[in-house]
Amino acid sequence: MEKKDDSKELEGAVAVIGGGIAGMQTALDLANSGYYVYLVEKTAGIGGVMAQLDKTFPTNDCSM
Amino acid sequence: MTVTQHPRFVDLDRCIACGTCAEKCPKKANDSYNENLVKRKAIYVPYSQTVPLKYAIDPENCIYFAKGKCKACEKFCPAGAINFNDAEKEITLQVGSIILAPGFKSFDPSSYDTYSYTNLPNVVTAIEFERILSATGPFMGHLVRPSDNKEPNKIAWFQCIGSRDINLCDHGYCSSVCCMYAIKQTLIAKEHSGIPIDCAVFYMDMRTHGKDFDRYYENAQKSGVRFIRSRIHSLSQIAGTDDLLVRYATEDGTLEQEIFDMVVLSTGLEIDKSIIELAARLGIKLDNDNFSLTDTFHPVATSVPGIYACGAFSGPKDIPSSVTEASAAACAATEHLAPVRFTRTKSLDLPPEKDVTREAPRIGVFVCNCGINIGGVIKVPEVVEYARTLPNVAYVEENLFTCSQDTQEKITEVIKDKGLNRVVVAACSPRTHESLFQETLINAGLNKYLVEMANIRNQDSWVHSEDPDAATEKAKDLVRMAVAKTALLTPLRETDLNNIRSALVLGGGVAGMTAALSLARHGYPVHLVEKSEALGGNALRLYKTHKGEAVASYVQGLVRAVESEKLITVHLDSIVTNVDGFVGNFKTDLSHGSSREVIEHGVAILAVGAKEYEPKEYLYGEHDAVMTHLELDYLFLHNDTRLDGVKNVAFIQCVGSRNQENPYCSKVCCSHSLVSALELKRRKKDINVYIFYRDIRTYGKREILYREAREKGVLFFRYSLDEKPVVSPNGDRVQIVFRDPVLDRRLAVNADILCLATAIISHRDQSLAQLFKVPLDMDGWLLEAHQKLRPVDFPNDGIFLCGMAHYPKPIDESIAQAKAAASRALTILAKEKIKVGGIVSRIVPELCSGCFGCVNVCPYGAITFDYDKQIAVVNEALCKGCGACAATCPSEAVILMGFDKEELYAQITSALSA
Amino acid sequence: MKTIEFEPKIIAFVCNWCAYGAADLAGVSRLQYPPNIRLIRIMCSATVSPHFILKAFQSGADGVLVGG
Repeated sequence: MEKKDDSKELEGAVAVIGGGIAGMQTALDLANSGYYVYLVEKTAGIGGVMAQLDKTFPTNDCSM
Repeated sequence: MTVTQHPRFVDLDRCIACGTCAEKCPKKANDSYNENLVKRKAIYVPYSQTVPLKYAIDPENCIYFAKGKCKACEKFCPAGAINFNDAEKEITLQVGSIILAPGFKSFDPSSYDTYSYTNLPNVVTAIEFERILSATGPFMGHLVRPSDNKEPNKIAWFQCIGSRDINLCDHGYCSSVCCMYAIKQTLIAKEHSGIPIDCAVFYMDMRTHGKDFDRYYENAQKSGVRFIRSRIHSLSQIAGTDDLLVRYATEDGTLEQEIFDMVVLSTGLEIDKSIIELAARLGIKLDNDNFSLTDTFHPVATSVPGIYACGAFSGPKDIPSSVTEASAAACAATEHLAPVRFTRTKSLDLPPEKDVTREAPRIGVFVCNCGINIGGVIKVPEVVEYARTLPNVAYVEENLFTCSQDTQEKITEVIKDKGLNRVVVAACSPRTHESLFQETLINAGLNKYLVEMANIRNQDSWVHSEDPDAATEKAKDLVRMAVAKTALLTPLRETDLNNIRSALVLGGGVAGMTAALSLARHGYPVHLVEKSEALGGNALRLYKTHKGEAVASYVQGLVRAVESEKLITVHLDSIVTNVDGFVGNFKTDLSHGSSREVIEHGVAILAVGAKEYEPKEYLYGEHDAVMTHLELDYLFLHNDTRLDGVKNVAFIQCVGSRNQENPYCSKVCCSHSLVSALELKRRKKDINVYIFYRDIRTYGKREILYREAREKGVLFFRYSLDEKPVVSPNGDRVQIVFRDPVLDRRLAVNADILCLATAIISHRDQSLAQLFKVPLDMDGWLLEAHQKLRPVDFPNDGIFLCGMAHYPKPIDESIAQAKAAASRALTILAKEKIKVGGIVSRIVPELCSGCFGCVNVCPYGAITFDYDKQIAVVNEALCKGCGACAATCPSEAVILMGFDKEELYAQITSALSA
Repeated sequence: MKTIEFEPKIIAFVCNWCAYGAADLAGVSRLQYPPNIRLIRIMCSATVSPHFILKAFQSGADGVLVGG
């Protein structure tokens, strides 16, 4: 393939698939460093499995 | 890319999450959030803290979709938010990268007949047990067993359900997280239970390989949790009761039995079928266990360029590793997008802020009905009339929904028309809505700190719905309190400080170099500081990764990439001697021999690594046959002739780890020994390899090594701390005497090489910690801000950590952590200015007596003492607005802006003045 | 004989990040409690100096709760 001027084709946006703890963290970092984020989640709300956990090691903080 | 959006049947802009719909909905459905242990309605929110906090209709359960009538929700919705005509949408997105974070599915143990999960109600999965423990769970956090709601006296945990098993579930990998969550559940169960409770964990190896995990494990043992190394034989219900009989085989083969009230299956992590299909649609290669295929040196890349992966999708992992990878993926996915940073983001056009400091307060009060949520209990017109009588109130209005978009526009107009300079919103909670009203004030040209909310919904109408009169009186009180405080509010300033958009990275190992390269590729200058004479660090001495990739050649490539990167300045033989400043404005002194240099930078990443423990035991340093991992790797790397005549090789695990001196697991040594053992077997099939271990901790996909080693005939002997192997010289060889726990006999082997799986120990660098004002933990590792959710941050802004300075870890995890630290640093470097101020403390110089009270009490080191003026000074960039200083100051010289004593006194007195 | 029922007035200082949030959640869960308490939101329980507590008692509070 020939080399093109890449920057014209680049999009300053990122799609994140999954709204659990990993998806939310990656979305926040992306947004805070200057990229538009589409966060795609298949259920009706974000939070994922971590939101189901009662407490987490080691502080026994509530997972919310 | 194209995304299919399923219909929600509820308008997000209109839904006010009042819950009326769910209350009226006649159809019950399984509540998947509570693992189907309870029912929810067909119109629901997944759980009460989710985002968006808006209802959704589950069409599979909704009566209207089944029978064509009902629509109770539509009838009762006060906001007109229900839309049964909502339809599936195809959305096309233009993106530069895709990050996959689809997560995992908890293993379904129904297929195991042994555990009778499907027919015994008191056999639950670990995730079900989480819900049982939870205050928002099926039993409101009261620990009872499902069959008869009896408080259990005895609970058993079965480990490795759906993990480390290729016979039934075909999951050869270790799920990495189950040992820790089981220990946590035993301790929480003990804490929750109203009665003393006996917890027993049945396991093969306890894998507590993370930071502070072993300490937690030991604490559990101390608090009486029983850990039983065993294999489960069978589980059955005792006739006539709901109790469970557990039969198990101990290590020496004896069959034992015990009765429990409840059994928790520590189910593993697996990839859901829908994710496998998604991967197929995207053309992403998966490994044999359906995890995304990654290589050690690119831990967040997938097989498709431009698509990245993080979290459990690329292998079973815990929350901190998932969060770390999430940040790492954000960094990796945008390296090629640096030229288009901020091209798709949107900025707001804001009116200039009006100076109201010299005006008398003119307060506007907006009282919300929230449909019937407030208006159905509280007599809103009465509250409105009452508000008109309060001092400084210039305007009062009643709204059906104060938060709706049209009301925001109306409030903006009213502020301008009536010349209002302060606003009180009597509605719901500032925690969810304050930012919305602050934005409205900004749009009306007012300082955003001039709004106060009176919480007359969550903390009034909803909790006093049975006493409308008292609720109305309380609403008046809350409005009066808010008005009293609001009259005293002053505009708070947020000022912009210069942000020096460059980084200092300390440590030139794999972590430091990876972080430096990532930042440079995003376009920011980096100073990379290494105290030795060369880049590369410990990794240069490693032979192969657990996936078989050569390490040294990768590291050499990394060194060349760093050296040829124009934006990176490498400082070798250099140490940091002083650090001044704060986020966006650090000044660091470097010393290189006799020369000194001052570096200005906005962020810093600490990647100072760790070192191999030098053994004092097992004849190390006294006999040539005894060596460490790195020394054996040296022989492999150089194809040393010493390996040629070798017949017997032994490994002793946990040398210098998991003892009193270093009470932690060094995480990498089990895998390292197995990689070396397999390498020996690869080079010479008939070589004998003996591994003396305490627990084999080949977590995650590394479990494959363990299986392969056993298949290839590597012999494993477990030893306990009371009876460690004894090593004595035997000519060129060493003799190892040990007890075989299976035969319960003492045996001896002679080894040509004895490799000690030595610990990794921290530099315990107190001076570095003091220079950067960052904490070290008890073992000398750098201590992150939050072990779960902020794994690469420090409590102080602008400083980040990565690599083995945080804890021993393999290369893939160091690289992920380095990219994560870079990602977190990028969130600061991307800003032109650093915003400081708002809710922060200020010190009135005339009142300060110089007692140091505030300096000592500040948890963020934000207050320093000006010796010239003999007063304390707050650095607004470091202050988090906790107010500890204000409460401590005996002279009342400290003011917490937005929550000062006059404002709080006004609230207190007005609360009690009715 | 006529008795006057005593109804205490309670002032609560609650941390924005935990206790205030918990009070919000009590509302979401529709938990009912007596209406005698008035919550004052603060950004951290560290803000609560003894002066605030004394001020509350001085102004007629029968009880003070600090939640953080």
